Amino acid sequence: MRRLFAVAHKELRHIWRDPRSLFVAIMMPLAMVVIYGYAIDMDLRSLRIGLLDLDRTTASDALVREAVSSGYIVIAEHLTNRSEVETGFRRDRFRAALLIPQGYGESLERGPAAQVQFLIDGADGTTAATVDNYLNAVVARLNQRLNAALLGVERFPIEPQTRVWFNLQMLSANFVAPGLVAIVMMMVCALLTSIAIARERETGTMEQILTTPIHAAQVIAGKILPYLGIGAIDAAIIIAVGRFVFDVPMNGSWWALSGYSGLYILVALALGLLVSTIAKTQQLAMMIALVATLLPTLMLSGFIFPIASMPVVLQWISRILPATYFLRIIRGVMLNGKLWYPLEGGIILLMLMAIITLAVVRFRGKAE
Amino acid sequence: MRGWRAVRFLVEKEFRQVFRDKAMLRMLFFMPIIQLFLFGYAVQTDIKYIRLATLDYDRTPDSRRLIESFYAGGYFVPAEPVFTPTDIELTIVEGKADVAIWIPKGYTESLIRNEPAQVGVVVDGQNSSIAGRARGYAEAIIRREAFRRMDELRSQYPQLDAQSRRVESIARFYYNPELESRFYMIPGIVVLIILVISGMMTGMAVVREKEIGTLEQLLVTPLTGVQIILGKTIPFVILSFVELTFAATIATLYFKLPFEGSVWLLALTSFVFLLVTLGTGLLASTVSSTQQQAMFTVWFILVFGIIMSGFFYPVENMPRSVRMLTYLNPLRYFIAIVRGIFLKGVAFPDIIHNLIPMFLIGVSVFLFAVLRFRKRVS
Repeated sequence: MRRLFAVAHKELRHIWRDPRSLFVAIMMPLAMVVIYGYAIDMDLRSLRIGLLDLDRTTASDALVREAVSSGYIVIAEHLTNRSEVETGFRRDRFRAALLIPQGYGESLERGPAAQVQFLIDGADGTTAATVDNYLNAVVARLNQRLNAALLGVERFPIEPQTRVWFNLQMLSANFVAPGLVAIVMMMVCALLTSIAIARERETGTMEQILTTPIHAAQVIAGKILPYLGIGAIDAAIIIAVGRFVFDVPMNGSWWALSGYSGLYILVALALGLLVSTIAKTQQLAMMIALVATLLPTLMLSGFIFPIASMPVVLQWISRILPATYFLRIIRGVMLNGKLWYPLEGGIILLMLMAIITLAVVRFRGKAE
Repeated sequence: MRGWRAVRFLVEKEFRQVFRDKAMLRMLFFMPIIQLFLFGYAVQTDIKYIRLATLDYDRTPDSRRLIESFYAGGYFVPAEPVFTPTDIELTIVEGKADVAIWIPKGYTESLIRNEPAQVGVVVDGQNSSIAGRARGYAEAIIRREAFRRMDELRSQYPQLDAQSRRVESIARFYYNPELESRFYMIPGIVVLIILVISGMMTGMAVVREKEIGTLEQLLVTPLTGVQIILGKTIPFVILSFVELTFAATIATLYFKLPFEGSVWLLALTSFVFLLVTLGTGLLASTVSSTQQQAMFTVWFILVFGIIMSGFFYPVENMPRSVRMLTYLNPLRYFIAIVRGIFLKGVAFPDIIHNLIPMFLIGVSVFLFAVLRFRKRVS
């Protein structure tokens, strides 16, 4: 035990001597929560469009007024011919153009239907779909206005009463903050440990440690201990900021949350250890940690992109990621208030044991 | 001329160092492949299957037609059946359904009486990006059903039908008619790959020499500071271009991305962008004494650069104050340029407003880095 603490103490000094890295390790999650909380909004708040009104009648004016009145749509430019549309797209001046053809007013007068065109920059497919929705809603409202009075129906015949549960304002922070805990802990713990151990190997001090009577397991535990602390501090910061600054609900038990988080940090540390047994240099350790732990965690755990719509192979990969299970737990605890996750928790525990065994076996193999 | 020979030797030394480490070499080619595949396949922000739970208390042909119209669109698949309002709550809480609709008793009666019929829609809001879209789809389907109902009403009163007016819309999507998210993501990944290779690796390579003490050895040779800088950065310029070509080839041949623009424009703008990344790497190396420090410094800049570049989320969705900050972010310009070159076939005049700020930032960062490095050296 004393030897273990000696190694931990040495590692702690390494960390302490380099306050900038410590600062980054602690500040990064904080800054990320703030950025995600304030800066990132998945909804399109304002849609800049180019207006190509070839009709110029009171009817076309009414359509434009209907569009602008939503508050979402801003007319960025008045265009005079169609070729300007593509120039605008290429220069990113607007995302869509509303083309009102000549004769629109006349057709509407004559009935039964007049046509308009939405020309949409499809490069960003996701946003383009939203843009299409917004523009369709404008036309739907206009149609409703044109016909409702006529039919003696004041409102739409069927009205959806939509409620969004758990997340009434659909604030992004609610869903991002718990996810960030999973990402940042993987980043800090796996990356830091793998590099710390690779450094000892690169500068040759690992051999010196191994010639001492310290057991390999003690070296590992000692190296991991300080990073366990940093990981825990990071997790606490993210959760606290999410909870108190962005009002992310905390419906579950703090004990369950800390317990599962601790388990997850251990997994991340063990993964870092495993990476370090493969990488001989810090550069390589960083690259492997990036590609093998961080990227899949970010992309495949369900943090941003829904697992259900991924191709099957990626769904399999997501099933062997600890973050996938942890994410489900932490979102569940914080947002749904569920307490007990025997299945997910069990899987993470099994993963932890497997990774540690593998890492220790490899580490000892290398040491001898 | 002698000066250039010295630089050439340094470049050769650097390459030997990279190529000696076979694991590193493998990684250099493995990384872009993994990144491209992850982003190319995982990022399907359009949801294909939304699990829908339905509770029909009305049980009339009208209510059944509404439910069928949900499944007909292809976005919704049936979740486990529910029988009471409490079931709806449970099925959402337990994550067994993403959306639930609830048609109350009297739905058809209201329709007949020309009163608005109400339909309850419950969306699981845990994942806001899905929730928003699932809600949009669900409401669009109900809206369509409402239109059908209005059409029916009209046909009941033929004398009214002659007076009815309607605006029809056709949407045309430029550049990416199928709206595939990978078209948008992959050019961004190409940028990220260059970024990691040139920014992070340069910083670490310089500090590595510091850490194991070989930088001092270099400094006692007659090499000048500028020669050392060139010798350290040129290999990463070459590596970046190799990776760029490699990644762009996979993107176009495997992922079938269009490449509408000019290769030369891509090369030129990449070169300007490399000024930024190499400068940042060098700058990080002058303020770091360990590789860990250098990596973390670059990493810190990189993460924020990426988040605020429009890579994941459109810049115009950000609040005004943050949006102002993104004008200082060279990544913002370069990602827009590369996407434009791949998808829109932009020409020089189209990107000049992005290129000039990136060039100014690049030159100032690089010059500042060189000045600092030389001061450190002497």
